Amino acid sequence: MSMKKRWFALFTVPLFFVFIVVVIIPFLSGVYYSFVSWDGLPKNPMKFVGFANYAKAFADTRFLNSLERTTVFTLITMVTVNVLALGFALVVTSKLRLRNVGRVMIFMPYLIGGLLLGYIWQFILGDCMATLGEMTGRTDLFFYWLSNKQFAFIGLIVVATWQMAGYMMVIYIAGLQSISDDVMEAANVDGASYWQALFRIRLPLLMPSITICLFLTLSNCFKIYDVNLALTGGGPANATEMVSMNIFNEIFAKSNYGYGQAKAIVFFIIVGVITMFQVRLTSRREVEV
Amino acid sequence: MNKNGAKGARNAAANAALLVFCLMYLSPIYIIVVNSFKSRAEMYTNVLALPQTLTWEYYAGAVQRMDFINVFKNSLIVTLCSVAVIVVLCSMTAWMLVRTRTRLSRFLYSFLIVTMLIPFQTVMMPLMQEMNSLTKALGIPMKNSLGGLVFMYAGFGAGMGVFLFHGFVKSSVPVSLEEAAIIDGCNIWQVFWRIVFPILKPTTVTVIILDVIWIWNDYLLPSLTLTSNANKTIPVMTSLFFGTYTIEWNMAMAALTMTIIPVIIFYFSAQKHIIKGIMAGAVKG
Amino acid sequence: MKRMKTLTCIVLALSLLLGLGLAGAQAESAGKIVVFQQKTEIYDQLVELAKTYQEETGVEVEVWPIAGDDYYQNLKTYMASESGPTVFTLNSASEIAEMSGYLADLSDLDVMGKVQENLIAMVDGKKTGVPMTAEGFGIIYNKDLVDPEAISTMDGLIAYIQEQKAAGLTGLGLSQEGYFLIGQILNFPFAVQDDPVAFCQQVFSGEVKLADVPEFQEFAKLFVAIRENQVNPLEVTYDGNCGDFATGKTAAIHQGNWCYTMFSTYDIDFEMGMVGLPVGGSTAIAVGIPSYWFVNADASEEEQQLGKDFLDWLYTSETGVDYLMNKFGFLPVVDGMTSEKLDPISASVADAIASGNIIDWTFNTEWPASVIMNDLVPVAEEFFTTEMTEADFLTALNDAFVTAAAE
Repeated sequence: MSMKKRWFALFTVPLFFVFIVVVIIPFLSGVYYSFVSWDGLPKNPMKFVGFANYAKAFADTRFLNSLERTTVFTLITMVTVNVLALGFALVVTSKLRLRNVGRVMIFMPYLIGGLLLGYIWQFILGDCMATLGEMTGRTDLFFYWLSNKQFAFIGLIVVATWQMAGYMMVIYIAGLQSISDDVMEAANVDGASYWQALFRIRLPLLMPSITICLFLTLSNCFKIYDVNLALTGGGPANATEMVSMNIFNEIFAKSNYGYGQAKAIVFFIIVGVITMFQVRLTSRREVEV
Repeated sequence: MNKNGAKGARNAAANAALLVFCLMYLSPIYIIVVNSFKSRAEMYTNVLALPQTLTWEYYAGAVQRMDFINVFKNSLIVTLCSVAVIVVLCSMTAWMLVRTRTRLSRFLYSFLIVTMLIPFQTVMMPLMQEMNSLTKALGIPMKNSLGGLVFMYAGFGAGMGVFLFHGFVKSSVPVSLEEAAIIDGCNIWQVFWRIVFPILKPTTVTVIILDVIWIWNDYLLPSLTLTSNANKTIPVMTSLFFGTYTIEWNMAMAALTMTIIPVIIFYFSAQKHIIKGIMAGAVKG
Repeated sequence: MKRMKTLTCIVLALSLLLGLGLAGAQAESAGKIVVFQQKTEIYDQLVELAKTYQEETGVEVEVWPIAGDDYYQNLKTYMASESGPTVFTLNSASEIAEMSGYLADLSDLDVMGKVQENLIAMVDGKKTGVPMTAEGFGIIYNKDLVDPEAISTMDGLIAYIQEQKAAGLTGLGLSQEGYFLIGQILNFPFAVQDDPVAFCQQVFSGEVKLADVPEFQEFAKLFVAIRENQVNPLEVTYDGNCGDFATGKTAAIHQGNWCYTMFSTYDIDFEMGMVGLPVGGSTAIAVGIPSYWFVNADASEEEQQLGKDFLDWLYTSETGVDYLMNKFGFLPVVDGMTSEKLDPISASVADAIASGNIIDWTFNTEWPASVIMNDLVPVAEEFFTTEMTEADFLTALNDAFVTAAAE
């Protein structure tokens, strides 16, 4: 018995040690810091302020705006990513000869990190668009997108979609491949058209994959930071500042460490609720399969 | 015959359409690559055109300014070591948690999974301070060292790694094999490394791929921990390169091209595994 | 199966060894300092200087890459995590106050004895900051395209901007970076007041409204003219702005003498000069100490001493002064330091200093901490992307100052 315990410890303690040091202790001290007023410099004084930081967060219009903006961004991006990804998946699982080439190419953007993607698109949506406008004369569509509030926001959606669609496509492919050929053949025999078969048979069978993808995009979009930083930096006039960036700026740019930490805890609770919901739905899916 | 011909034509058209679409989809990458060879004047006359001359000048400039070779080496070391540590520790822990049916092991598992919800923003600043105090108390440099960064990645990668291995052990590793090995005189350590670990290979591949993509591209954590130039990773250096006042786009694009190339090579050399790995990981994500 | 096991062992051992080895390799080598500063223009030259310093003294100098507008934020992050640089720079009085716990006493430095008292940064009566250089900013104009007399009044300047538009040129180039977009140019209407210090306090406390002050009304008119007649400054980078000026696409830019190094990659075939922004009847150039060098009081005693030695060397040794004057293009601030070959813009600034026709940098000495990046930039971005009126613009700027001062 004691031998068994020793083996158990040998196998699990190293990981849990690292995990507790890296995640749990900082998390708990983070909760503590959310109750103080401090600029983060160890030599400057720290004052305990109770729930004042939280009260302030819920009255901070810039923070609330960033939350609302992130929600809108997330909802739109969830739709664009998933429609595109599902479309891609249907095309590359068809009998087209170039399907594998398509699969490879469409997945590629996912491999480039958010930061690099942001910089690439900063050039395209900025200078490149402006030059295109000069060349074609269509300055209503081709102009410096990033200095326009609405278009900078749209730009963020475009880039996030471009990054995530390939990844979600792969998940849809897995879902589509798990639908047995018999089902499709039966539909063919019954004389169902492509679209009837798609909407009446394949999509309902694909619901588990759709659920996963929706929630994956949800949590990815909600936590977006790298793309935001590299593409727009939150500008112009904070019009594209998402929650993550708002928290980061509060802590590091404005050096309101305690206050920013309180915002981060609020953020954690929101992300937590969303993800719990996701886990519940995905685990239900596992039972079904 | 006629019908087949029409079908063939339609197929060809569909294939062509797919190809054109894919090329358009990747056009941002094309734009970056062609403009990395152009002078500024040439770039602004026509961003889409191919370069008139092939000059490596901007690549040389970017390599020198970004200290590219060193930065690349750092990224490689951090990614490889972190992934190795994550795979080893997570597979061991997950297997043990599955095989030990106690309340403790169930608790530890749920604990790991639930705490995966913590967003990085919530822990970033306290983590940095804790790492400083550790550095001071123990004399082991946790901040501004690649070793310390690997340690932190092991912590952040723990939840997901254990989750994936746990699921696989539960569903696909037969206990009978392990029991047979014990009868043959193997101890637990040997059982794990000789019998179990090889069976875990599909999940190991999944974990490696997901973590490589994550760590190679991660920006926030290394940007907070790595202060000196000698230790910076590719994303951190790229952001510094862009953060300075002078964006010289042609040189910047040479830098971007160089940072993308290793990822593309990794992708093409392990393409099948990557797609499979993502599919397997998708269930969790 | 055996191979698998061996492989695993190798990977495990390697990763452990690497981890440990890397951790060990980071140990402090004797005689090394880290320098972190904000001036983009001198980064490459500073790296070169670091090599020379190591050759002369054996002390290694690591120069951290500049972070542009994010400099102060990065510096604070490093300080907060107790891994700050040895020698660093700060710009404004508010930054110095916030960081005061981290500033070593530099009274015993040789260079401090050779600098005028009023140019030194003081904390609690101790000399803590060595002035980096003196700088001036204003309108830098192309003498072939601009008649300085014509732009010596605000009406003249606005008329000139409209003329340039008709000629297909940019009249007064601004760029997207916080200090260049709004921070420095907004100094003029503050600094031309009779008592700028008292005036700033009245604005920050809400006693005086910017919208009621004639100099600010002129300023807002200028900004509207820029918005209506020029390419949006948010779409222009510092690099691009200087490049367009050097190639004659822009007739004048609002910049300082530090930007002359940016022209070095171009063949300039025209003469240039500098005048102040014409507000309130003044055309004085704004001259100030852009930054001060500090030594990190949080560093070890030995490291602090190495940092002090470096600063002394930089401002008193022959090699150091040569770099300051000829490679960095700095204006002399230390007694006995002269510069033989000033670039044309720095020469304008030096002339202005000599004639006394200069105004202060209130944004460094009076404005609240981080107000430019956190509060003024969003207002300016809003202004350049909407149809905001002059009055609304001034009200928004006013509110930004009041909010920042209250924090």
